[in-house]
Amino acid sequence: MSTRRRIRLRLALRNLRRQKRRSVLSGSAMVLAMALLVFSRTIAEGGHEDWIDSGVRMGGGHVAVEAPEYRTRRTLEYRLSPEVRSAVREALASPEVETRLMATAPRLLVQGLASSSQAALPAAIMAVDPELEKDFSALHEKLVEGRWLGPDDRLRAYVGVRLASRLKLKEGSRFVLTAQDANGDISGQMVRVAGTFRSGIPEMDEGFIQIPLSTAQEWLGVPGAVTTEALLLRNSRDVGPVRRELASALEGWSDEAAVLGWRESMPELDAAVRMDDWADYVFHLVLFVIAATAIVNTILMSVMYRTREFGVLRALGLERGEVGRVVFIEGMILTAISGVVGMALGAAIVWGFFRNGLDFSAMWDMEMEAAGIVIDPVIVPRFHWNQILQSLFFILAIGSLSSIYPAWRATRIDVAEAMKFEG
Amino acid sequence: MSDGVNGNEVSTGRVRALGVPAVRTEALWKVYEHEGIRVEAVREVSMTIEQGEFVVLAGPSGSGKTTLLNMLGGLTRPSDGQVWIDGTDISALSERDLARLRLERLGFVFQAYNLLPVLTALENAEFTLLLRDVPPEERRERVEKLFERIGMGGLEDRRPGKLSGGQQQRVAVARAVVGEPALVLADEPTANLDTATSTALIDLMAELNRDLGTTFVFATHDTRLMERARRVVRLVDGAIVDDDRRD
Repeated sequence: MSTRRRIRLRLALRNLRRQKRRSVLSGSAMVLAMALLVFSRTIAEGGHEDWIDSGVRMGGGHVAVEAPEYRTRRTLEYRLSPEVRSAVREALASPEVETRLMATAPRLLVQGLASSSQAALPAAIMAVDPELEKDFSALHEKLVEGRWLGPDDRLRAYVGVRLASRLKLKEGSRFVLTAQDANGDISGQMVRVAGTFRSGIPEMDEGFIQIPLSTAQEWLGVPGAVTTEALLLRNSRDVGPVRRELASALEGWSDEAAVLGWRESMPELDAAVRMDDWADYVFHLVLFVIAATAIVNTILMSVMYRTREFGVLRALGLERGEVGRVVFIEGMILTAISGVVGMALGAAIVWGFFRNGLDFSAMWDMEMEAAGIVIDPVIVPRFHWNQILQSLFFILAIGSLSSIYPAWRATRIDVAEAMKFEG
Repeated sequence: MSDGVNGNEVSTGRVRALGVPAVRTEALWKVYEHEGIRVEAVREVSMTIEQGEFVVLAGPSGSGKTTLLNMLGGLTRPSDGQVWIDGTDISALSERDLARLRLERLGFVFQAYNLLPVLTALENAEFTLLLRDVPPEERRERVEKLFERIGMGGLEDRRPGKLSGGQQQRVAVARAVVGEPALVLADEPTANLDTATSTALIDLMAELNRDLGTTFVFATHDTRLMERARRVVRLVDGAIVDDDRRD
């Protein structure tokens, strides 16, 4: 480090120490802003991960492989053939995907009608592999009556509690499912109620049924086929690499298979997360403004107070820019120290008090549902170091931007006038 | 060897132009205009100050002493005319070159001492040497020697707030002369000091002038300082009315 740099650094450090109270006060504002930023981001991240986890488990997973037209047409014509499924399974075995994969769920989803002796109601009928589905979806935990589908079940159904109620069905009751088969004909299948569930999502509780995959494949004339291969990943941030790997592996099957991320397969959830992100950004903006105001105020006051000193420095041979740099360095040091302390404080508060979750159940005593998912009232904060470092970077950027104006003011001081200044 | 500003030669360890005046001004003007009112603070001042002189700029308040001193020090740009310091026409210098000239060839002593409060007495005194990249050992040696000479030995580590007015002004003088500049400009250096301290400070500066050959130019009302000066230039309404040489 050159001598002049050392001098500038020494002057900046000593000036911060000299105005301890002012430095501590404005540093505290920045510490608070940074701590709140860490708190807010970890809570938001935890909340979003919960939403995404809940959404992808109930829906199509973090990543879904489907026929390209299936998303819009929703008919069995656009299904994944056994050959495509085999290619998908091969791709899943690649190390890039396997290490990130938590569970897979082959599904066959058709729109149909559920009829009992009492009524006939429209329903989404999802055929699943009970063993695989259990590791994927949390729906089996939402049991109200009876039991979840077993591996040996054939003619059993797991029915939404309100649908069951409207059809007057109980555990063991028989009813008929009707849907369009692979040939386009209407086909029926009698099943018995294995159990009923309450998901908390009205659309599911009123019109959703799960049956064994083998039963549906036989009933609808599509042996070995599914409409969706859903993948559950260990982390929602892994969607990109897994999607790329699968898309590359299925390049030869592009007419028959498309790889979708959860944002595309669940646009409502994507919109909810984005909207919540924007609310967070506004909050962060407020925090940044607080931090920036504190820095500008402290440093500018300090510049005004030290007008004569800056005049002396100039008279002794420091250049305009060097005087400005002393002020800029003060702002950066104040910001860097406050930023790191705030980050540590925020992390300590979140870890010390909220690592098991922030419980909002006292604020809402019934299940809250939005964008097709049930929102858990207990939000467990999540630390992502890149996010925390990103926040620190933002604070430093705000600090440097906020220090520019006071630094510029210091460079504009007229030396002769400064000597008359009574600080 | 040449220095950073205009290639002058080095003699007796300091940058010094051979055979040229320490200061020369030619038809120097400083005019301020404010809300349509024109104030001529300095009017057509032409003067020469040779190296090693001990000069006082005297005159009543508002006579233009400080403005002239500021122009000599490159702190204020003249409205018209030229200033040569140690042979360099400073009117034409850029901000950066002016800063360099102040660092290498000028020393300043102000009425209000103007030490940097965050530095110790020693750090204040060696500040210009630091900026000039003088090696630490040489820096310390020069400052400590000077401190012994000005009676500040043992007070090196004190901050300005812990020094008396007279002690602070001694440190300011040490800061001004430690770099062996061609010219020391002092604006009312004794105005804030009591009689005994003022006399001691004047003695000190006269001694440094005599022993080191440093040129001193003062702007002052202080009659004691005027009595000790070998030349008194009187200003009235911004113009020189008398130039009294006492050699």
